[in-house]
Amino acid sequence: MKNPGFSEKPATGGHWRRRALPLLLLLVLAFRPGLEAYSATSPYDSLRLYSEALFEIGQKYVYAKPEKEIIYGSIRGMMNSLDPDSAFLTPAEYQNYSRGRDEALAEAGVDIIIKDNLLTLTAVVDGGPGAAAGLQPGDHIAKINGETVRNLTTQEAASRFRGAPGTSLKLEVLRNSAVKPLKITVVLQPLGDNTVTSKLLNDSYGYLRVRYFNDATPKEFALALESLQKQGHPLRGLILDLRNDARGSLEQAVRTASLLLGDKEVVTAKGRTPGSQETFQGKARDLVWKAPVPMPTVVLVDQGTARAAEIVAGALKDKYQAALLGAKTLGLCGLTKVIPLQDGSALVMTMAECYTPAGKKIHGAGLEPEIQGQTPKPKENQKEAAPGKLPPEQDPWVEQAVEVLKGGNKPQAPPKA
Amino acid sequence: MSRRSWLVVIAAFLSALVLSAALALHATEPAGPAAQGSAPGDTLSPDHPPSLEIFAQALALVEDQYAEPKTSKDLIYGAIQGAVGTLDAHSSFMTPEDLRELQIETKGKFSGIGIEIAMKDLVLMVVSPIEGTPAYQMGIQPGDQIVKINGQPTKNMSLADAVKSIRGPQGSKVTLTINREGFAHPRDYVITREIIPIHSVKARILDGGIGYVRVTNFQDQTDADLHAYLDKMKQRLVPFRGLILDLRNDPGGLLDQAVRVADEFLKSGLIVYTEGRNRQQTGRFYATTGKDKYANIPMVVLINEGSASASEIVAGALKDQKRALIVGTKSFGKGSVQTIIPMEDDSALRLTTSLYYTPSGITINEKGIVPDVVVEEKPLPADESLQGLRDEVLERHMLKQGLTDKPWSQPVTPAELDKDPQLKKAVELLQNWPAKNVALKP
Repeated sequence: MKNPGFSEKPATGGHWRRRALPLLLLLVLAFRPGLEAYSATSPYDSLRLYSEALFEIGQKYVYAKPEKEIIYGSIRGMMNSLDPDSAFLTPAEYQNYSRGRDEALAEAGVDIIIKDNLLTLTAVVDGGPGAAAGLQPGDHIAKINGETVRNLTTQEAASRFRGAPGTSLKLEVLRNSAVKPLKITVVLQPLGDNTVTSKLLNDSYGYLRVRYFNDATPKEFALALESLQKQGHPLRGLILDLRNDARGSLEQAVRTASLLLGDKEVVTAKGRTPGSQETFQGKARDLVWKAPVPMPTVVLVDQGTARAAEIVAGALKDKYQAALLGAKTLGLCGLTKVIPLQDGSALVMTMAECYTPAGKKIHGAGLEPEIQGQTPKPKENQKEAAPGKLPPEQDPWVEQAVEVLKGGNKPQAPPKA
Repeated sequence: MSRRSWLVVIAAFLSALVLSAALALHATEPAGPAAQGSAPGDTLSPDHPPSLEIFAQALALVEDQYAEPKTSKDLIYGAIQGAVGTLDAHSSFMTPEDLRELQIETKGKFSGIGIEIAMKDLVLMVVSPIEGTPAYQMGIQPGDQIVKINGQPTKNMSLADAVKSIRGPQGSKVTLTINREGFAHPRDYVITREIIPIHSVKARILDGGIGYVRVTNFQDQTDADLHAYLDKMKQRLVPFRGLILDLRNDPGGLLDQAVRVADEFLKSGLIVYTEGRNRQQTGRFYATTGKDKYANIPMVVLINEGSASASEIVAGALKDQKRALIVGTKSFGKGSVQTIIPMEDDSALRLTTSLYYTPSGITINEKGIVPDVVVEEKPLPADESLQGLRDEVLERHMLKQGLTDKPWSQPVTPAELDKDPQLKKAVELLQNWPAKNVALKP
């Protein structure tokens, strides 16, 4: 799993607070018995609370525990409380991280978040090992190889789903519709390319699905668009399926969106500090369809749509008059930076968050589609229909999208009176 | 208000089925409020500043650079949660809200109006009013839909938020807008909040002088309530020939209550002992000699994989002392004691401070109590969905069809026994007492 990210130089010390805090913390520890003087709103109250907690654990916990482990756990907990992409890396993990992830590494083909201590699959890549083993978006993973999932950051948990090709992962899966935990074994395999599939539907409507974003996606996307255009002649509309699609970098998203948008704005990243705002756009020559009018487009999204897919969906909505159809997206679209700490460990921290060209915040909010996907009626002999599992002609949301395209570009906003 | 004890039962019941063990049981055993204000310093300051410095560095970086401003309190709460997360699965950090909720659970009472509520098909609904409470007296009925609370629509309100707004200080009022079949319009009910007791003990009787007592969790009132039922049964059942103590799906509770409950049935001897790293957490608990009225009655204890902690202390003591026959399936295996350590801002640490051992020196941790007579529960239909199961339990409860929904003095029918093979076995054993494979003490 690759997060959108810009690489910045590691932060170096020098800010006074960074130096002053350890001292303050120690002072707080030393002064603890007579601390009534602090006001209730002081940030040092919180630090005092922390030192009190460490002290109690040190004194009373049933087993002796190395302090370093507890401190690392604290930092992990703090990063976990921020957002699913923020994480803590121990020195060993950081070394692995900086060595760079082996792109050829095998994986389960799932995207996860940890929320409220529950490991949840946000997306299961179509045709990947996880999908082949029967994992579904929304599944919770209780145990990995017999070990209970506990106190992991999303990054750490994600690393459990990568490994050497052929490695078996035994998972205990909690699914809402099942009373008992399911036991599912996934064999790790490389996902490979072919991130884009397409199909010409009846009446010259083009269907295009991105099962996940990687570096090959923009090129594959362009080829698929061109081939749809040739077959469909003239193409009357486009359905872009970004459901269950939660990985990819900002750059991959920008390059993909610019195939339809040219040099129009795709996304803006904004942090807290002034000057951290940056707007991203593609190049005019990226444009695949040179027609003056946008192709009528419906983008399918759901709660598994995140990161690159959310950027593309937001950009096409704001700059291509595309309609979003489906369910609210995940709202996970931040830019992270890795910041080493003085003992060789590191923080992975979200520094900026994505906004659509119209200024709507994606990260933490998600995109609300203007057309709600109709809940598919369960058909006989077919309990669940995960997105991408059905051929597009039989997928109820695709059918709905075709109806929208047939009925005009997109539904008119209700008049305001 | 939503009766905690019942929710716990459901939660424990469903968890035992659905979630893996560690996720399932929040079995708590606060060994009493233990906020020793000891002097700090020894463990942390001079020897280990480097790792603390790392934390301070990380905190400063997040405060300065994270994409959104965060209060240091939020960050510290996250940090403490993470610190406790490196410990065992039963240690946790409790926000002030969590702590209040736990106190309600352990004190066995709260201030509210006395209804159990649930979300059904996205509608907030009364499962049942608790007898004798303000809601009951005002005529709130099972199945009533709560449309508004104090004028606030309950649509899109979470169950927890609904509970929060219905509860409130004793003597204050809450307005529920109720919709009921037969009402032309929803009606407002203004109800004055009172202290509502939560009962952790329920009972029935069976033919042949056998009493049945179910303990749903161990809180402040448990032993007193249990004792009261035993006395009532002794009067009603002449002779009182046998007792079934049902600890199935009982996730535990207070250690001292477990000791008292075991003591009801023991003349003397060790009940449980605890050992921790800190000397204060080490102790031995014996049966007292005063409370012996029920020390000889033939007895079966029912356990299952949902019986944890305090339940296992009771079952373990009665088993080791060969006082009762244990029937059912292996218990959960939570042999640790947690101490609630209040922090200065009303949050608290729930810390595992000791392990407990049954009289014969066996730790229950991860092993559980093995029954003398193994009887499986009635299997669930394999294709049953969780939601379906939840609805079914709710439905049964609303229609008052559960075993303990009926008055205690109403004898258990053969049809009810057929639904519960473990209970049925317990009855058979008591009817043919003494059972061959238990050597009862004289």
